[in-house]
Amino acid sequence: MGSAMSASFAPECTPLKKRYDSCFNEWYSEQFLKGRSVENPCSKEWYAYSACVDANLVKEGIKPALDDARREAPFEKGGELQEREQGKEQEKK
Amino acid sequence: MVLLHCNRDTFNSDFDCVTSVVFNKYPNPYATHILSTDVIDRHLDRRGDVLFTTRLIRKQGRLPGWVQWIVGGVKISDSWMIEYSRVDRRRKVLTTYARNLDHTRVLKVEERTTYEYLPDRRATSVHSEVTFTSGLNGIKHKIEALARAKFEESVKRSREGMSLVMQKIEAAAERVAAISVAQAQAQAQAQCQTQPPQPQQSQELI
Repeated sequence: MGSAMSASFAPECTPLKKRYDSCFNEWYSEQFLKGRSVENPCSKEWYAYSACVDANLVKEGIKPALDDARREAPFEKGGELQEREQGKEQEKK
Repeated sequence: MVLLHCNRDTFNSDFDCVTSVVFNKYPNPYATHILSTDVIDRHLDRRGDVLFTTRLIRKQGRLPGWVQWIVGGVKISDSWMIEYSRVDRRRKVLTTYARNLDHTRVLKVEERTTYEYLPDRRATSVHSEVTFTSGLNGIKHKIEALARAKFEESVKRSREGMSLVMQKIEAAAERVAAISVAQAQAQAQAQCQTQPPQPQQSQELI
């Protein structure tokens, strides 16, 4: 899949993205889906890639619209937060 | 607002394969309008069973000329989309919600898709629901109807693109398996080649 991975919107981030994607893809199918790991082995690749993306989001001027949209967090409201609450309740029980 | 329910489709692939493809479906020849995808955020729930991902997708604009004329000659060459996804590995369900970030007054397109593994059929179903909302009074119905017609065509292309990427992944997996076999054979051969001298040496010692 190496060469078939998609590009970053910022060309300078594409090599970092590819490194991160390779690491993630391996972790996703070999560990996450199989329930083998909750640790993120790709944190080094992630920090390098996301620092690059963050810097370029500001340059592109898309950051304000993105920040607004991220406040929606549809699954955080409908998914994770509820689960966290449920989890807490279960712990209490 | 126009709500569109798409019929359920199924892929004859397992959940692992289908969901890996969702994260890697671009680029493919059916989605040449996708210019880039970036992961903005990714985290697990505390039990490690649910993976949340937020992606920023840039696509080439395909609004018809008359829409561009109406919005004041603004040349819309490309647009940004945000996509949230949630993979529940235990229940084998992937849900995504995506919408455009810009030009939302002209047209806001929201797509909700659910991929769900059907163990009895050994297949993964996919169901999409899309809403089109235009904030342009007077022509909003025309824009929404046009978007709907365009969308039905693009869903078909999207599913074709998914199938193609799945075939590629399966082919790649076969290649990896073939390489592993070739490596094992090479190792076995190497061992066979290194082994004969040993008995010879021992023979000499005797």
